[in-house]
Amino acid sequence: MESKVLEMLVPMTLEGLKSTIGVFAVTLATSLPLSILVAKMRMSRNKIVSSLTGIYIYIMRGTPLLLQLMFIFFGFVFVPYIGYAFSRTQAIFIAFILNYTAYFAEIFRGGINSIDIGQYEAAQVLGLSRARAFMKIILPQVIKNVLPSIGNEVIALVKDTSLVYILGASDILKAAKSVSNRYSAFSPYIFVGFVYLAITAVLTKALAKIENKYNYYR
Amino acid sequence: MVLKVNNLSKSFNGQNVFEDISFSAAAGEIVCIRGKSGEGKTTLLRCINNLEFPDRGSIEINSLYLYKEESGQVKHASKSELQSIHQEIGLVFQNFNLFPHMNVMENLIEAPVFLKKMSSDKAKERALELLEQLELEGKEHSYPYQLSGGQKQRVAIARACMLNPSILCFDEPTSALDESTRGQISKIIRKLSSQGMAIIIVTHDNAFVDEIAEKIITLSEGKVTIEKTRRP
Repeated sequence: MESKVLEMLVPMTLEGLKSTIGVFAVTLATSLPLSILVAKMRMSRNKIVSSLTGIYIYIMRGTPLLLQLMFIFFGFVFVPYIGYAFSRTQAIFIAFILNYTAYFAEIFRGGINSIDIGQYEAAQVLGLSRARAFMKIILPQVIKNVLPSIGNEVIALVKDTSLVYILGASDILKAAKSVSNRYSAFSPYIFVGFVYLAITAVLTKALAKIENKYNYYR
Repeated sequence: MVLKVNNLSKSFNGQNVFEDISFSAAAGEIVCIRGKSGEGKTTLLRCINNLEFPDRGSIEINSLYLYKEESGQVKHASKSELQSIHQEIGLVFQNFNLFPHMNVMENLIEAPVFLKKMSSDKAKERALELLEQLELEGKEHSYPYQLSGGQKQRVAIARACMLNPSILCFDEPTSALDESTRGQISKIIRKLSSQGMAIIIVTHDNAFVDEIAEKIITLSEGKVTIEKTRRP
């Protein structure tokens, strides 16, 4: 790779990396706790709550994230009564959080359903409140069960952050595109490909460590 | 009487499981409920332990009503009454239902720390006493998967005893045990009963019933057909 290409690519990639990591971290930190709440709402005995949550999940999983980003940034302002013009950053965070919360919620719902009913009954017989039983007995077991699936989504999220280009936001892929256009070179794309691989390698290692941490029991 | 069951009936989807069952248990008494599969033994035990809602009748645990029939309607105990009732009755499940992510000590202290607001240190002290009584010394840091079937059952007994209940219920306690572990469990049950705990055992193991029961309740076609009292 030519040095002038590198000179332009490295700072732009670092700048893009900030945005990529920002979207990734905020989405993960918000979606994960929110998705447990959404999973519980989806499993609610209240049919209205359960159906509305089901519709939300259906829309989020049934349409592309790219379209959701575009709708929230360009289209939401035209929605009658509740229309609002979100800033680019707000639109990105809202779309990513809504989308990933839906996916994580379905994973958590499966995890919660996989816990033996005897665990709930044992907690009930011991007099634990429903909240205490969920937080101390059920949730830790659910987390262990869902970790591999959550891991897949976390890695998908890193790659999905590149979709912010549609709103003109910077990220590492956009950095590669700019440099590639400027110097008519393909090498910047290969460079950012390795950056994505490096991020994925770090995450894979971290996820394996977390999974190992939960391997203290069967 | 620490347990009074009066005219209890339960059905699922219109099918009677049992009807008008009445019996009682005194402090220190060993009561065995037996019957063939599907006769409603476990459902009865689940009603006593607040895991099923009966259609009719009442259950009184140490003068506290878990269910009370008033003008044809079964009323459930209030939340605060339930908190007291949970301290009076314990259940050892057929498959123990220990919490797999918690070690033995954590399994034992969870309820007293939450329900009785016992300090963690005091709860641990009580847990160690019980583990010693149940010959589980040194197992406090083990996880359930590291224990044998008999050890798991004894941990489940210890967990149920942590709240010092007046009544301890067992669902099929001998179903997964070999001969020597079976002897151990009857010894433990007798010891708990001698300490004043009423023991309610649901089983289809007639030899075990003959060995241990002081009162035998036989469920047949949803009704109590035999009730006899004797000392083993």
